[in-house]
Amino acid sequence: MTTIQRKIWLLVSVMLLIMGIIWMMLTYYNQQTQEQTNTILQRYLRLNEVTIASQKMITDLNNYLLDPTEVHKVQIEKSIKTIEEVQQDVVKLRNEENAFSVTNYIHLIDSLVETTNRSILFSEEQELEGSKNEFNEANRISMYISEMTLTILDRELKTYNLFYREIIDQSEELKKLGIWILLLVTAVLLLATYWFSLSITKPVHQLTKAANELAKGRFNQKIKVESNDEIAFLAQTFDEMRLNINDLILEIQQKAQLEHELQQSKLLLKESQLKSLQSQINPHFLFNTLNTLSKKAYLDGAEETSDLLVSVAGLLRYNLKRIDRSVTLYEEVLVLYQYMEIQKARFNDRLHFETNIDESCLHVNIPGLTLQPIIENAVIHAIEPEEDGGTISFRILRDGSWIIMEIEDSGKGISQENIELLLNGQMDSNEGHSTGIGFQNVVKRLQLFYGVDHLVSIESVEGIGTKVIIQIPETREEVSDETINRR
Amino acid sequence: MRTKIVLLLGALIIVFSYLTIVSATKAFRSTNELPTTLSEMEDSIRLVLITQELDTPFWNKVGYGAKQQAKEESVELEVWGSYGNNEDDFLKKMEIAIHSKVDGIIVQGLDTEEFKNLTKIKAAFYGIPVITVANDVPVEESLRKTYVGSDQFGAGQMVASQLVKEMGTSGEVIILRDDVQAFYQEERLAGIQDVLEGYSEIDITIRGTVDTNEQVISTTQQLMNEVPRATAFIAINANYAGPMIQEIGRRTQVEPYHIYTFDDGVESTTLLEQGKLDGVLEQKPEEMGQESVKWLMEWVSGKTVPLNSDGYLTETNMLISDGDQR
Repeated sequence: MTTIQRKIWLLVSVMLLIMGIIWMMLTYYNQQTQEQTNTILQRYLRLNEVTIASQKMITDLNNYLLDPTEVHKVQIEKSIKTIEEVQQDVVKLRNEENAFSVTNYIHLIDSLVETTNRSILFSEEQELEGSKNEFNEANRISMYISEMTLTILDRELKTYNLFYREIIDQSEELKKLGIWILLLVTAVLLLATYWFSLSITKPVHQLTKAANELAKGRFNQKIKVESNDEIAFLAQTFDEMRLNINDLILEIQQKAQLEHELQQSKLLLKESQLKSLQSQINPHFLFNTLNTLSKKAYLDGAEETSDLLVSVAGLLRYNLKRIDRSVTLYEEVLVLYQYMEIQKARFNDRLHFETNIDESCLHVNIPGLTLQPIIENAVIHAIEPEEDGGTISFRILRDGSWIIMEIEDSGKGISQENIELLLNGQMDSNEGHSTGIGFQNVVKRLQLFYGVDHLVSIESVEGIGTKVIIQIPETREEVSDETINRR
Repeated sequence: MRTKIVLLLGALIIVFSYLTIVSATKAFRSTNELPTTLSEMEDSIRLVLITQELDTPFWNKVGYGAKQQAKEESVELEVWGSYGNNEDDFLKKMEIAIHSKVDGIIVQGLDTEEFKNLTKIKAAFYGIPVITVANDVPVEESLRKTYVGSDQFGAGQMVASQLVKEMGTSGEVIILRDDVQAFYQEERLAGIQDVLEGYSEIDITIRGTVDTNEQVISTTQQLMNEVPRATAFIAINANYAGPMIQEIGRRTQVEPYHIYTFDDGVESTTLLEQGKLDGVLEQKPEEMGQESVKWLMEWVSGKTVPLNSDGYLTETNMLISDGDQR
């Protein structure tokens, strides 16, 4: 990941590098030019030195000849040494162009030294005439040297003329080059800075836009930033935050739904309790009365009536106690039989009740009064309106870990729309129910009890019959069990 | 907006890069190489040709020939000298050459004490060989190694013969020479006299003059006054031909006169072309240059020692004016 800091560093170091290279190039070039001019200047200076040295020598010689003392002797020897040193330097000045003149020049210096030495020698031997002549000659040679210096300088100027002009031209050009390079670097820098700043600000803009979207409450748009620096990281984190918020909102919504359902079940419970309270005007009195009636009927020899009354009493008691707690399927089935006993007494031959029960399923827990309201429904809709009566079949089966309970009647059936309405709880008819508990109540209680939807289904063919199928898991989750019990 | 900025900057960068490259190639173009330094004393042989008359056609040719030869022999040669017979300057150049310890001097002979002193004493002292070219100085007086140039005596004879041929065997001839005669002039005069003396009817008037135009003109004037019937002029010093003819032309027609001179004068060739001169003795200056270098090198390299002190003569022939032939 390229960080912004790295980008800045990169930009700055590249620029520094470019400037450094330019600086070094120019410095190097300047140095070279300077060296060249220095060399040339040195040539001139050396040539000039020869003239000065030769003139000095003549002066010294003159001094010596006028006053031949040791001091002057030392002086003249010193100046001879100087001129010989200078001569060595001059040797280096020879090039193709001036070889002839410079060689002549060097020999002239030789001649000068020789003549001077001769003059000194003559003077020491007291041959004044000879020494004077030699001095004159030395003086002439010194003059020649001066003249030749000028000639050589003149020639140097001619030789180097083009070269000097070029140096001047190049330094002019160098100035221009400096300006061009400055402009070029400026333009490059501007472009680079532009791109560079864009690479920082563009993602920031994108991020700002995304933040605005979030602020407006649109959590669905993905935050996308085309970059590879910290902004991208920021955007990614931001996006994760968005997802988290999204999840949290969903969770809250689900919780609200749950809360709502809980409220509903509580209301249902309340309703059924109210109803049972309403029906318990004096349930114990009714219960006792029924028992008394049963005994009376028995004593009077009406045994059938007595049994019927017992059934009614048992049903009543069950109804009173079991509405808000779970019972075993066995108990439920027992109550079912008692109820059917009563109904048989009512309808006689018109009611055919068939059962097929898998005994191994009867230990299962089930909310109380689940089956009775449905059987009652079947009786109400399939037996009561039919003059010829009908058949109600009740089956308990096992299907893997599921227990299936089927209640089938031979009534007129229900239309598909009504089935939908029934299952969705939009149609309820509690009228005529002995326990005051309707189909809806059963469906909802099952749902709450097991925490699973669609436990109840209805199959119906019009004119042939209706089949209500309840399926429950054999084992219920502990948590939901406890939840239910606590309530 | 953005693309505009980017495009603008891009265009600027392209333009500036182009200008930078152009400028850089100009600025960093390698400078003309300086002449290579000769570090060691690669002493090639140095010769000097010294003349009194630099930049005259005659001496330019001598110099050219000498340089050609020097190139062939791969020795260094420079032509020094003075302009317009400046004797002091000429002698100074001689002295410089000697003090510069050149390996050989080819010099236009000058018949003066100073010159002879230089060649005889100084050059000999430094052991520098001297060859005279074109104008000789006798070997006894100058200790020159040899002479390369025309046979001046023969040249004088040739001029005189031509004169006789054109003028006939009788007449008055005026001969103009230097007051102080150089050796080569003596030779020429001797050559002329040698021929003309054979004709008793030819009178010769010889007069010396000083080397200035005014003097030459006045001398010519005097001569023409003194010898009004003169029919022929010979300028032994070719440089006097110009002013002389000028003076003659001022007085009368130049045409009828028979005027002769030598080709080592500044105006010789021009005057001949104009038809004012009837004849010019032509020498071989280029050959002189070549030969002189050749013989000097023979001496320096020790191939021919000693050189023939009589000299190595180059050809001479007579150039006759076209105009006069009509």
